Amino acid sequence: MRGNVLKIVFTGLFVLFAQTGLAQIVVSPDGEINSISQAVEMAEPGTHIQVQPGTYMESDIGIDKPLTLEGIDYPLIDGNNKGFIFVITADSVTIKGFSIKRTGRSYVRDYAAIMIEGAKDFIIEDNRLEDVFFGIYLAETERGIVRKNRVEAFDTREASSGNGIHLWSVKNPKIIDNEVTGMRDGIYLEFVDNAEIYGNVSNENNRYGLHYMFSDGGQYYDNTFRRNGAGVAVMYSDNVNMMNNLFEHNWGTAAYGLLLKDINYSKIEGNRFYRNTVGIYSEGTNEVHIHANDIELNGWAVNIKSNSARNRFTDNNFIENSFDVQTDSPRNNNEFEGNYWSQYEGYDLDRDGIGDVPYRPVSLFSMVITKQPESLILLRSMFIKLLDTAERIAPVLTPKTLFDENPKMDRIKR
Amino acid sequence: MRGGSILMLIIVSAAVLMGCEPKPQPINYGSDECAYCRMMITDAEFGSQIVNKQGRSYKFDSVECMAAYDLTEESENFHSKWVPNFLNREEWLMAENAVYLHSETLRSPMGLFLSAYKDRDSAEKMKEEYGGDIVDYETVKQIVEREWLSNGSGSRPMLNN
Repeated sequence: MRGNVLKIVFTGLFVLFAQTGLAQIVVSPDGEINSISQAVEMAEPGTHIQVQPGTYMESDIGIDKPLTLEGIDYPLIDGNNKGFIFVITADSVTIKGFSIKRTGRSYVRDYAAIMIEGAKDFIIEDNRLEDVFFGIYLAETERGIVRKNRVEAFDTREASSGNGIHLWSVKNPKIIDNEVTGMRDGIYLEFVDNAEIYGNVSNENNRYGLHYMFSDGGQYYDNTFRRNGAGVAVMYSDNVNMMNNLFEHNWGTAAYGLLLKDINYSKIEGNRFYRNTVGIYSEGTNEVHIHANDIELNGWAVNIKSNSARNRFTDNNFIENSFDVQTDSPRNNNEFEGNYWSQYEGYDLDRDGIGDVPYRPVSLFSMVITKQPESLILLRSMFIKLLDTAERIAPVLTPKTLFDENPKMDRIKR
Repeated sequence: MRGGSILMLIIVSAAVLMGCEPKPQPINYGSDECAYCRMMITDAEFGSQIVNKQGRSYKFDSVECMAAYDLTEESENFHSKWVPNFLNREEWLMAENAVYLHSETLRSPMGLFLSAYKDRDSAEKMKEEYGGDIVDYETVKQIVEREWLSNGSGSRPMLNN
């Protein structure tokens, strides 16, 4: 009886090993099969291709059947500045553990290290891309996962790079724990539905750390966007939730922590905006709830244009920003309620933690410099301070209805 | 004599000032912002501009954004409109004189697939390689009007005013 069980187990194991053995190809620089293209060509669908350490001078490796390609100790694929490296057109492909360098560059073709076109259910994981034009490029794909990859730019030359992770016409992608540095946009989305983007670090890119265009639904959270040319831009998109991200050190004339342009019905919650020229810039943005964020040490905490309406700012900490809120019109269609403002000079006689007089976050001076940027030189002068105080007591030029009725006396603890 | 030289000075300076024809300004790629869509301008083969009569330049990241601005803003004070030659990015072309290729294989920054050329011959050559249609600036404006500005075409409205 016992012997029988052992027999069955052994037979089972044997069959299992035999099968994986059959469906496995090993590529190595000095082996019988020494090119990845060759291995891909001879592989049956479902084969596991293992690539041994070494350098492979290859490009335009077309994958048109479901395969798993796994690099051992990051074998280097060097494209020698020609074309794409991987072009994936089949479903269920996995590319894992490669080091990739030197794709082609072009003004008309978006050469990428890993291009996935019209495919579903793929995994691109743990790859290191350096010196590439575009990094990972998803076009007309569904349900793919891009995880733990590292993408670095060609060089620091202005505007010469493509995007790190580029998504065009994609449904339900997951972009997780990647690191992108020095590209044009770190992560770029155009016509993407329901993206889940989290755990990524996108730093020092020439344009935006993350860039949404015409991409509805989904969310991005727990990401870091640091020292990008212009911060993060979310444009022409609806229902995008943005939570617990860090937007910091985005300095420059056209730089923002977060730029919102034509955005509707979204949630911005639990983020930290630290040392940006403008923390949140909003144009044509409606029904967005900005809740429980820390907005600290920015030039302008919030710049909200008058074509933005029914947005709500609640429970945020506004800490030591040069200007709290800037707007371009005496009209106001947005709500500020229960925030903490470090510049609030009111009092709390009934000691309920809420200031007894409203706080007006738009200073007269911020209205003046909208029209006359040169006057910024007068910031922190006595004269401006007097003007601002007078305006706060009796508003003439600043929006009369833009105030926080219940400003918190103490910084809100998280 | 003295009056004469003052008169002379006035005439000369008037002539010099009249000679200051408004002309295209250099675009700072990687820091200037598009006056229409607010995106940072990064691609020299698409960056365009409208110069007004005072010589101030409104810069755009793409031909389509310039056309949209042209369609939606007061154009009375516009002096001239400029687009880059796709094949020679240093060269500015007058928008009305340029020839455009509208080809889905040549992606432009705001996704309307428009690139500009100096003459019909070079546009024809690009068309042979990339397909699409050769159009003039009026048609470019119609494309932008249809895709972005008029509602009910299936695409989303771009204006929020």
